[in-house]
Amino acid sequence: MAEPVIAFDGVWKKFRRGEHHDSLRDLIPSLAKRLTSRKREQPLDADEFWVLRNVSFEVKPGQAMGIIGPNGAGKSTALKVLTRILKPTRGQIRVRGRVGALIELAAGFHPDLTGRENIFLQGAIMGMRRDAIRRRFDEIVDFAGIPDFIDTPVKRYSSGMNARLGFAIAAHLDPEVLLIDEVLAVGDFTFQQKCYARLEEFRREGIPIAFVSHNMQAIASLCDQVMLLRPAQDPIVGDVPDVLAEYVASRSAAADPRLNVIASSLRDGRSGRMVAGPITPGTPLDLDLDLVATGEMPRAGLLIQIVRSDGLIVFTGMSTLDGGREIDLRASDQLNARIAFVANVLRGTYIINIQLVDSMRQWPAAAVNSIQSFVVNETTRIAGCAELSPTYDLAVRSAAAESHATVKIR
Amino acid sequence: MSLTADLKEMLTEQLHYRELLFEMTRRDLLIRYKQTIMGFGWAVFMPLVNTAVFSVIFTRVAPIGTEVPYPLFAYCGLLTWNFTASSLRAAVSSLTSNAGLVTKIYFPREIFPFSAMLVGLVDLAVGSSVLVALMAWYRVPPSKFIVLLPVVVCVHAMFTGAVALFVAMANLFYRDVKYIFEVVITLWMFATSVLYPVRMLGGKLGTVLRLNPMTAIIDAYRDVIFGRHAPDWTSLGAAAALSAVALLWAWIAFHRSEFEFAERI
Repeated sequence: MAEPVIAFDGVWKKFRRGEHHDSLRDLIPSLAKRLTSRKREQPLDADEFWVLRNVSFEVKPGQAMGIIGPNGAGKSTALKVLTRILKPTRGQIRVRGRVGALIELAAGFHPDLTGRENIFLQGAIMGMRRDAIRRRFDEIVDFAGIPDFIDTPVKRYSSGMNARLGFAIAAHLDPEVLLIDEVLAVGDFTFQQKCYARLEEFRREGIPIAFVSHNMQAIASLCDQVMLLRPAQDPIVGDVPDVLAEYVASRSAAADPRLNVIASSLRDGRSGRMVAGPITPGTPLDLDLDLVATGEMPRAGLLIQIVRSDGLIVFTGMSTLDGGREIDLRASDQLNARIAFVANVLRGTYIINIQLVDSMRQWPAAAVNSIQSFVVNETTRIAGCAELSPTYDLAVRSAAAESHATVKIR
Repeated sequence: MSLTADLKEMLTEQLHYRELLFEMTRRDLLIRYKQTIMGFGWAVFMPLVNTAVFSVIFTRVAPIGTEVPYPLFAYCGLLTWNFTASSLRAAVSSLTSNAGLVTKIYFPREIFPFSAMLVGLVDLAVGSSVLVALMAWYRVPPSKFIVLLPVVVCVHAMFTGAVALFVAMANLFYRDVKYIFEVVITLWMFATSVLYPVRMLGGKLGTVLRLNPMTAIIDAYRDVIFGRHAPDWTSLGAAAALSAVALLWAWIAFHRSEFEFAERI
């Protein structure tokens, strides 16, 4: 097996909460403190916290590691430790080879310089050689799609052009290790497709990638492994579907005080077995719920919502609108419900939210988010979110001969 | 980490990122050239105006004796002092004004104060054309020690580099430094033989002022450019030794605290 190119070994990083004073007035107290408390590194001070806790992972050549987690979980800090901007409080980091970081792509741009001048400046900041930039200059301009504006100062650029130029420069780096921090949210749809295509290319070249993103679809399509960073907890490292499901489940909102969930399960409708691993599109699913109302809920309907991990609401349905009868719940009444549905959805991680809705007022009486989740894994569809089970009927009418052939594909 | 490992890392990094150093210098020069009508004219304008003002004071109001005509004496002092003053002025806020780069992208942070110095060096070169013109105008021949000019420039750059690294780093940790710096740089100019020969001064004050390495450096410039006698080897040698030690110390201190920059900026 190949040597890992990126290796984190028990990395911890401490940050300080609250205001950091920068005036000379603070020099004397801080010096005094340093003298009295010598080299006492392990325990946290009252105003300190661990932003990275015991992070260990490896990325081997040709692998891509996704890094996910809620805001403030330390994703960007992990990348900054990797690029040596920050030094870990404890632990070891090894990175072999030239690091190309797709972080803050336009950070080095100066508004008064032209696109051309900024390409050389930003390229140098990212560690490119001048002759390498000169060699790939036309490609960069072409990729950014701004040949007409290359001699215009960057301050006259639209924010989209700015970001595109930034990515174009980064995309033509020649890195041995690639770090990406949520930079693909730039430009229009076509440009984003171009960016992902370029990343795929990097990956095919065998360049190891560490990729921070909130876009679970992007993580799922690019990465082999995912690390989930959690505040105040050790991170989880594992295969993409497992960790994504864990993440999505962990994001569940605080339990609704009006509703207690006694039990919930998600089963395969054909085998009756609990859904554990990824399923295929079209799998029938049964969601079983045992709920107890803490208060009065008259004339209620049960609503189910399926949300993909990137926030796309795939489906919302309600029992009363689908012909079910209204139910009246009094305090401490138990509701046993089974919702059967077919997962006609494509590749992705999905969460299930449920609500009890007051059907008179169409108003949610109680909600439980992320009560269950499932992962769909399929490889045949190129893109999309719903399984429409198409059939193809193609006919070729030859201009030369009168004969024609009909091809039917199911 | 050991000292030799630090030194090795510092030098290899500078070597690896040398193109970035030139690119940053180019950026600063280009911006000034684009944003101002005078462009490089500013490099000679400020010392010239000061030369005119102080020439009136020190030739008409309170005449002092100098070996060469006073405007030449003053311009040489102001031009070379200006290298230190403008480099340091740019260096002091070079890290804090590039916070975006410091917190986001890794490269050796010495690049910021060093490129501030290279910009100052370009100004020095541009301004020296006026110095040559003044020497021609006053018919002052160059000294036979002119071959030592690169040595003096080297000592000057080492000393300025040491202070530049120190003030850039200090201002990142304590923002008061920028304001203190403005006061200090003004006082420092009058404590250096920029506008009058410190050699003239005797007594305790003279002794104290001669400890200032900038006086040794600026006197050495005058001696090797148009002096009629050999430079003061002792004071130049002392300044050179001090500059080398200071540069080494400041650079190592800077390098060792670099990883804190992104957190403390």
